[in-house]
Amino acid sequence: MGIREAIIVALGTLRAHKLRSFLTLLGVIISVCTLVAVVAMVQGVNTYVGSKIARLGSNIFSVSQFSLNEMTNPVRFMRAKETNPIIRYPDYQFLRANARLPRAIGAQTQRTGTVKHNGRALDEVNISGVTPNVLGMLAFQVANGRFLAPTDEQRRAYVAFVGPDIVTHLFGGANPLGRHILVSGQQYEIIGVATAQGDVFGQSQDNFVMIPLRTYQKIYGNQDSITLDVQARGARLLPATMDEMEMLMRVRRHLSWNEKNNFGIIGSDALMTLWHTLTGAIASVMVGVSFVFLVVGGIVIMNIMLAAVTERTQEVGTRKAVGARRSDILWQFLVESAVLSTVGGLIGVLLAYLFTLAAGALTPIPFSLPLGAVVLAVVISTLVGLFFGVYPASKAARLTPIAALHSEV
Amino acid sequence: MATPTIHQPSATTATPYAGDHEVVIRTENLWKIYQMGSEQVAALRGVNLQIYRNEYVAIMGPSGSGKSTLMNLIGCLDSPTRGEYWLSGHLVSALDDDELARIRNQEIGFVFQTFNLLPRTSALHNVELPLIYSGAPPAERTERAMAALQQVDLADRVHHKPNELSGGQRQRVAIARALVNRPSIILADEPTGNLDSTTSNEIMALLEVLWERGNTIVLVTHEHDIAEHAHRVIHIRDGQVAGDTRTRRGDAVANRPPAPPA
Repeated sequence: MGIREAIIVALGTLRAHKLRSFLTLLGVIISVCTLVAVVAMVQGVNTYVGSKIARLGSNIFSVSQFSLNEMTNPVRFMRAKETNPIIRYPDYQFLRANARLPRAIGAQTQRTGTVKHNGRALDEVNISGVTPNVLGMLAFQVANGRFLAPTDEQRRAYVAFVGPDIVTHLFGGANPLGRHILVSGQQYEIIGVATAQGDVFGQSQDNFVMIPLRTYQKIYGNQDSITLDVQARGARLLPATMDEMEMLMRVRRHLSWNEKNNFGIIGSDALMTLWHTLTGAIASVMVGVSFVFLVVGGIVIMNIMLAAVTERTQEVGTRKAVGARRSDILWQFLVESAVLSTVGGLIGVLLAYLFTLAAGALTPIPFSLPLGAVVLAVVISTLVGLFFGVYPASKAARLTPIAALHSEV
Repeated sequence: MATPTIHQPSATTATPYAGDHEVVIRTENLWKIYQMGSEQVAALRGVNLQIYRNEYVAIMGPSGSGKSTLMNLIGCLDSPTRGEYWLSGHLVSALDDDELARIRNQEIGFVFQTFNLLPRTSALHNVELPLIYSGAPPAERTERAMAALQQVDLADRVHHKPNELSGGQRQRVAIARALVNRPSIILADEPTGNLDSTTSNEIMALLEVLWERGNTIVLVTHEHDIAEHAHRVIHIRDGQVAGDTRTRRGDAVANRPPAPPA
């Protein structure tokens, strides 16, 4: 019996028991749907985050107190807190004085605080002290007014450049230029407003107040570590620039050759790697869960196939009587369970597709159906059907024709 | 008890039997012993019989006589414990499962009491089934299945499913299925057991027609009036051949001038 006949027989059986087949396939459907949807989601989010990270500015990296590696592992972080000194203003000055390769080096430090105006207050605002040259390295542009200027820095002026959220929440959308906000008991004059950037995962990117770094240190002291933003002169010079900054930092810290860095250098590729590690962890958990579903689905298929063999003992007998060999019967039931499972896989893919359509319409994340995952999911569901079909099929194949013919059903 | 003519079977000669007295079925001291727990039960105790090409034979016996066991062996559904069974020159008693399946496919056409058609499948496809297992190409399959259905007068019912057919029509589909691979014998096990008497007569008339067209027919039954349609009746009792008689119809046929070869 050829594969075509076997598939036709299998589809005929599926059609004859639509509801039963559907219920049988629920496990496979759910697992394939989860699998494909998770991969689609992770890919979509990665694309989205990738584009966001890329917008941070090209050829930019930062020098910070901790490396990404230290920031993402509690044990290493506790150890690094002992070994890594905070980066201070003189470090910034040292790098600016000695670095040859960077186009620019900016510095920033930040904390969260409450911003008030005229009795209204906005909590959890990102308060940053920045050097004026970070404009162009960060993602926003000036929408209104001007950015912080070197003179503001020198004068340690009480001026602020604010995100659009401040304007909408504290000024009701009215022009805030020249007006004042109160941050940590100090008044600042608003000199400029940034362009809106929207949300990333529900986190507003427009909820900030930027003041000159020297002003920040005058108010909050110099115990907050500074992060240095370094812009290379081009993509080709980026690695060399990173090397130079690393070397200068090691010199500044008097590290000998066998000591590890006690600071971190974080490029956008490192950020992306970190992000992939994070989403990869989530994805692998979900994929693991979907495989559990798949095994459960396979067992359900095995169960229903065993029932089908019993139910169709007489059919097996008839087929054997007219010349079916053991291998024909084995093949027939194997194909049937594989087809059953594959149909489940296809339904799962369809559901996942509908899910990505819905998610793509409801979120800014660009979802697409990953072809590789679709093919893999369908192939895996077929294999599950084959694997869990082996036992029922061999049971059917082993039936003796007499026993099969004379069974009363 | 024994049949009058005894030929030495030969596996080497292609046509070991002269004329139209070619032996299709030959059993030699056929035993079948079942193990029932610790006891051994002999269902057949040395059955010797020969059936010739284009014979119409009934095997009769009460239940428990070993008649069904004999039918299973003749139908190659089972293997004997001891003894030899030759079918159309093949020693089938020594064959393994797959070879038996091939013999069932090529040499034997089954007609069952319960029809044993595949439900939800058209008459045509049911008749095609043996051809599927013999590996015939689809176009030839359809053509031969249509021809077989024509032979049983069901050309206008080919796309009906079993549950859309009457009992007699279902049995005719089963007979078409038995014919389609041009087997050496048609083995009918109580073919009228589930049919009313009018339909039974139709089916028996059809078997008669098939016999006239040159088929060898072995009928297993416990009903005398059904056995009377055959030309020769082999009685089985206690696992042995208890009698081998020619029926009145058989006498009539024997006195008839020989038919031209089919």
